[in-house]
Amino acid sequence: MNTSSLTSRTLRAGALATALAAGLGSFGAQARTPNDQLVIGVSMNNLLSLDPAGATGNDVVEIACNVYDYLVELDPLQTTTVKPGLAESWAIAPDGRRLTFTLRQGAKFHSGNPVTAEDAAWSLQRVLKLNLALASPWKSYGFTAQNVAGLVRATDARTLVIDLPVATDPKMVLYTLGTSVSAVVLDRKTVLANEKNGDLGAAWLTTHAAGSGPFKLDEWRAKEVLFMSRFDGHWRGPAKLRRVVMRHMTESQSLRLMLGRGDIDIATGMSVPDIEAMKATPDTEVHSVNRGTLYYVAVSAKDPKFADKRVRAAVLRHLVDYDGINKTVMPYYGVYHQRPVPLGLPATLPEPGYKLDVAGARKLLAEAGYPDGFKTTIRVVAESPFTNIATNLQATLAQAGIVASILPGTGNQVYGAMRERNFEIIVGRGGGGAEPHPHSSLRALVYNPDNSDQARLTNFQGWRTSFADPKVNQLIEGALLLTDPAKQTAAYQDVQRRFDSEVPAIQPISQMVDTVVMRKDVRDYVGHPSVTTRLRDVHKQR
Amino acid sequence: MSTASVPVPPAPTASGQTARRLRHAGQRLATVLLTLLGLLFLTFVIGRVMPLDPVLSIVGPDADRSTYEQVRQQLGLDRPLAVQFGYYLRDLSQGDLGKALLTGHPVREDLARVLPATVELATLAILIGTLVGVPLGVYAATRRGRLGDHVVRLISLFGHSTPIFWFGMMGLLVFYAWLGWAGGGGRIDLAYDGLVASRTGLLLVDSVLAGEWEVFQSALRFIALPAGILGLHAVAYISRMTRSFMLAQLSQEYILTARVKGLSETAVVWRHAFRNILVQLLTIVALAYGGLLEGAVLIETVFGWPGFGQYLTSSLLLGDMNAVMGSVLVVGIVFVALNLLSDALYQVFDPRTRS
Repeated sequence: MNTSSLTSRTLRAGALATALAAGLGSFGAQARTPNDQLVIGVSMNNLLSLDPAGATGNDVVEIACNVYDYLVELDPLQTTTVKPGLAESWAIAPDGRRLTFTLRQGAKFHSGNPVTAEDAAWSLQRVLKLNLALASPWKSYGFTAQNVAGLVRATDARTLVIDLPVATDPKMVLYTLGTSVSAVVLDRKTVLANEKNGDLGAAWLTTHAAGSGPFKLDEWRAKEVLFMSRFDGHWRGPAKLRRVVMRHMTESQSLRLMLGRGDIDIATGMSVPDIEAMKATPDTEVHSVNRGTLYYVAVSAKDPKFADKRVRAAVLRHLVDYDGINKTVMPYYGVYHQRPVPLGLPATLPEPGYKLDVAGARKLLAEAGYPDGFKTTIRVVAESPFTNIATNLQATLAQAGIVASILPGTGNQVYGAMRERNFEIIVGRGGGGAEPHPHSSLRALVYNPDNSDQARLTNFQGWRTSFADPKVNQLIEGALLLTDPAKQTAAYQDVQRRFDSEVPAIQPISQMVDTVVMRKDVRDYVGHPSVTTRLRDVHKQR
Repeated sequence: MSTASVPVPPAPTASGQTARRLRHAGQRLATVLLTLLGLLFLTFVIGRVMPLDPVLSIVGPDADRSTYEQVRQQLGLDRPLAVQFGYYLRDLSQGDLGKALLTGHPVREDLARVLPATVELATLAILIGTLVGVPLGVYAATRRGRLGDHVVRLISLFGHSTPIFWFGMMGLLVFYAWLGWAGGGGRIDLAYDGLVASRTGLLLVDSVLAGEWEVFQSALRFIALPAGILGLHAVAYISRMTRSFMLAQLSQEYILTARVKGLSETAVVWRHAFRNILVQLLTIVALAYGGLLEGAVLIETVFGWPGFGQYLTSSLLLGDMNAVMGSVLVVGIVFVALNLLSDALYQVFDPRTRS
């Protein structure tokens, strides 16, 4: 036998034995993430694409706002305050139809290319030309694939002009520029270098990034891990962390154990019992932030039963245990709220105070011809807190003789049925609200300019619930155009009153709260109501 | 004494044997291809019948009509079902499994990434299951009705009836959170992620090949617990089946003869009885291994293990049919391959099957 191969084999075996022994020896060591790295445990189930034109869901927003720069940013503590981003200043024309942005000098993309107004204009044009998911807000402002090149343009390397095709509130457009992933500025040259078959880089951007943000995307392995590293050439100066790691974890108790051991610094999407448990531990703390999205119970006004205003009132106002649900089911998920305009905006009216009132509901049902109730179905996404709300609702409906079967499903199935107007009752979540403007929610939840089946206005939940009130539409359209803030606030309050008086088919029950649990040594993490949580200032103090 | 002329069949010629083997192999191949085609067709039809809309997964619930229709067309879902299936088979014949909605990558690349993670986990688990389960089953059979038998049966019952998810959580609590012996979520410590080039996709093997012992140590620390728990589950099944097979053999007359001949109990059990259950044992180990490959999803979820089970499940929930079809094809191939392998091994262990 060859002596050298024997020696080599012996050495290998020895090394393996040593490694095994060392492995056993190291067991029990306290895990701790490095000082200059942030490890976030998060479910990436809904992260399907990183393309700013087509990516949906909230997961991508948290990545995009750290990898890309926006023209403007909204202050996380006072969201109506617009702060400079890549645009160092901006001006709104007196008629409100033109926004002019001056981009800062010296900003560079991760590739080293300079950031120019041409990049910013091209990025927005691309969103409309691709007509993917995130084209929606821009289409609602009147932009189309055909007109966008003429309306969004660079007049020189630092000046971007956006002409609004239809009259709207320019503040709303500004807020969209500060919140929507579609508004990030892409490195045009890098994207076009990776274009295939005229796709404007869509296939490449699904898994890559071409931004100028404080972090560079190093690698994304779907449903496994995402790595971002500090971009030292960022115009604000380098971020405090060297690396951010997002680790795909869906199991709440695993997150809890890893957080407790210090293997992750921040955990999102934990269950309420686990959050409660972590709250009691000395090394972790819980942070919650209100989001603009609303939890709601909706009925289909197309259904003969729910076409009757009295039945809608009975079910949505008297047979929902608002207090019980908000006290027992919603902690860390949402806060009590019954208006379509989110909390915290000047136009938001005080709560109407709907309460569980079975006798009142029975009276209304009897008047409507259903003294003994009826049979119905509740569609619900099969996860917390939706199922808990649905079972609570099922129990209170039963008190008035309404026998409701629960049809659980995935988000895709439940909202798919709603888009097809094929449901009776739904417990859901939605309603815009990213922009701190009443129109954001009213457009999504209330507005319905054409209630016909053929219109298929599937992006409007007003259409999905088959509920339309021309007067409400008119009030919403009018309020958006008012330039006097006081008058606009009053007009939006009129919208809410009118909407309330008509007993709509969609009834908010709670405003969404986003809760994260983090290690106490993590500093300056400020959760953003619009999900654009920026990590550039986050650091650890040990 | 007269010799009656008994017709003797002509001895098969070498070329005749080869022809028969080729015909047999051809029949086998045709059966396998037909099985896989049927599996794909069934999956395709179920995927289309399911109330899951892949378009909605991409565009989100709030997309307007024009965006929805555009993406539907891009995915080719506006074509008749037969045409869609035809295109799928055409692409498949060229080795193209399509692109996954879930990851934006070709399904083939995804499978090449997630499958080794599960193969590594399941292989370690089945090794544990076999090395522990078989001796336990044999031991229980030889101690039938005695304390040892009851203990093994209790272990088997406990392992089989306790949800694996619960085992996972308890394992994490004790060995990770309290004792700190095991790694937490994922396949490896983040500090070592990407340090070793992927050659086989099996981290333990790749790290050894690269001589990266620290990486090996970390990978071992992360895989030990999930593989151990899956292995325990396999132990429960394999020991139960081994016991039952052995009991059947130990009651045979040839065993009595062997004992009467004065053979030692070890020789009776291992050389005579055990040898006769090998074929059955192979079948159940092969099936258990196949089951681990596709069914480790709960353990993968608890341990954040980026494997095949998670990939298949989340693809299914999204209606990502390219990924589902590709995964189902892999599962089908794995089961067919395991069956072929166990058939081949039958011939090694059972001379009667050679004819």
